[in-house]
Amino acid sequence: MRGVLLIASNFAREQRWPILLLILGVLALALMGLTVDLQKQQEDALFLFKELSIYGIAFSVFFGGSAINTERRSRRILAVLSKSISRSQYVMGLLAGVGLAAGLYCFTLGITGTWLLGDIGFSRSHLWFLMACLLAACLLAASVSVLYSTFLNPFLATIATALTLTLPAGTTRFAGAGWQHVLPVHTLMDVVLQAAFRGDWVADWTLVALSLVQAAGICGLAAWIFTSRDIAVALD
Amino acid sequence: MSSVLQFEQVSKVYRPWLGRPVTALRDFSLKVECGEIFGFLGPNGAGKTTAIHLVMGFMQPSSGSGILLGRPFGDAHSRRRVGFLAENVALYHRPAASLVKFYGALNGLRGAELDRRAAAALDAVQLTSEARRNVGKFSRGMAQRVGLAQALVNDPELLVLDEPTSALDPIARVVVRELLLKLRGEGKSVFLSSHLLSEVELVCDRVAIVVKGRLMRLGRTADLLHSSEQMRILHRRIVASDSPTATTRMQLQDEVVSRRELPGALQRIWSAGDEVLSVNPMQRTMEEIFLEVTAEAESADQASSA
Repeated sequence: MRGVLLIASNFAREQRWPILLLILGVLALALMGLTVDLQKQQEDALFLFKELSIYGIAFSVFFGGSAINTERRSRRILAVLSKSISRSQYVMGLLAGVGLAAGLYCFTLGITGTWLLGDIGFSRSHLWFLMACLLAACLLAASVSVLYSTFLNPFLATIATALTLTLPAGTTRFAGAGWQHVLPVHTLMDVVLQAAFRGDWVADWTLVALSLVQAAGICGLAAWIFTSRDIAVALD
Repeated sequence: MSSVLQFEQVSKVYRPWLGRPVTALRDFSLKVECGEIFGFLGPNGAGKTTAIHLVMGFMQPSSGSGILLGRPFGDAHSRRRVGFLAENVALYHRPAASLVKFYGALNGLRGAELDRRAAAALDAVQLTSEARRNVGKFSRGMAQRVGLAQALVNDPELLVLDEPTSALDPIARVVVRELLLKLRGEGKSVFLSSHLLSEVELVCDRVAIVVKGRLMRLGRTADLLHSSEQMRILHRRIVASDSPTATTRMQLQDEVVSRRELPGALQRIWSAGDEVLSVNPMQRTMEEIFLEVTAEAESADQASSA
């Protein structure tokens, strides 16, 4: 477990500049609260909040899809895997690192949202539920991109992840609602994107838990594939 | 003597998606004994790095198997007792002490022991004064020494080093050479891949030369260096002197003959009344042996393709 945490914290440290950039984007939203009359521009503020949520998913996919390849290309993976770290611990560590980055992002977005949207009538508990949905979606999306990155380059891994995550959304429309529980990134994002100032909301924690279980399963599959991969051969 | 590292009929074939398969190692067998410094030599593309990466579990053999410290290659627990330095080491950009501690922590060290081991490892490569500097600002040679420190941090029983002195200046090379000898003195084993043949000649107890994935020569360094067919005879002849103050003078003569010709040559020298001072096998350099082995492999290849 300690090895996983070390790899996770090291990943977050290595990605500190992109993470900082993302957080600065959120803080730019906070600046809006100081400069505009939010009571009059409620919907615009909520729209920006939703837009930033989608960025969170996109960056999780990019982080997950490039993590292994970046380490291989730089050859830094060799010194790490020469220690008593198993391949599965390594993959779990990378995913935990993406989770850490996504968690930081969601927390910052949650704090900013609480301050901006909470003051103009958006339910604060609803907002934190949305952040939980976003974090779960980020983790699930990242696990899929990590899975593909074990055998594809970052570009192909990102495309494959995008296709995989949109497939259940399309299938739900044609083949029934049961599909919304398969890789439910789109369902979770639907919850975030449908959020409104007025109207009832229900916290469906089952969906969040289901996403986390699926993320863990996909992470296990990624670890299993990565265990049998040669990592020191020339790339591409 | 027990072995710390063993290859058993290991082959490794790279199969790219496009193009022909490349065989990096063929039925490769080798044993590294406990407490020795083992030199692993070969030209570029011989399969040395592939063999090392198989040992460390970075890749899997196409056939055959290997044992590292009593467990199969790739076992994470056995790596805790191994220190590894990759060729052209790449490290995270953070202060040297923090970096070495990070690698130590990955190997299960913690607390005061981690601090102590990290300090000792940096001291061993003479980088204590640079411990707080960011590795990203180090020269290539200094980064290589930090790489060596991370390999040493867990006090390994076996060090696997791929070109550990390639970027070092002569002073740092001496430091590393003395470090390796000190480690051997403590009972540790070292598996050393290097192109610096003079270094290998100086520190290695045994040497293997691999060419195109095949083991071409294996033996004790001293035996290989003295395995020449050529013998040197040093003899002394007493001749009449031209000098007005002396009636005779000694003339030292040096003669190189093959082992087969040795009895005849000695007979001739004694018959001439000369005194034989010494008969020794010609000392060769590792470079000569290396070139001879690679040439042998090359001509064997040509013969088989013909």
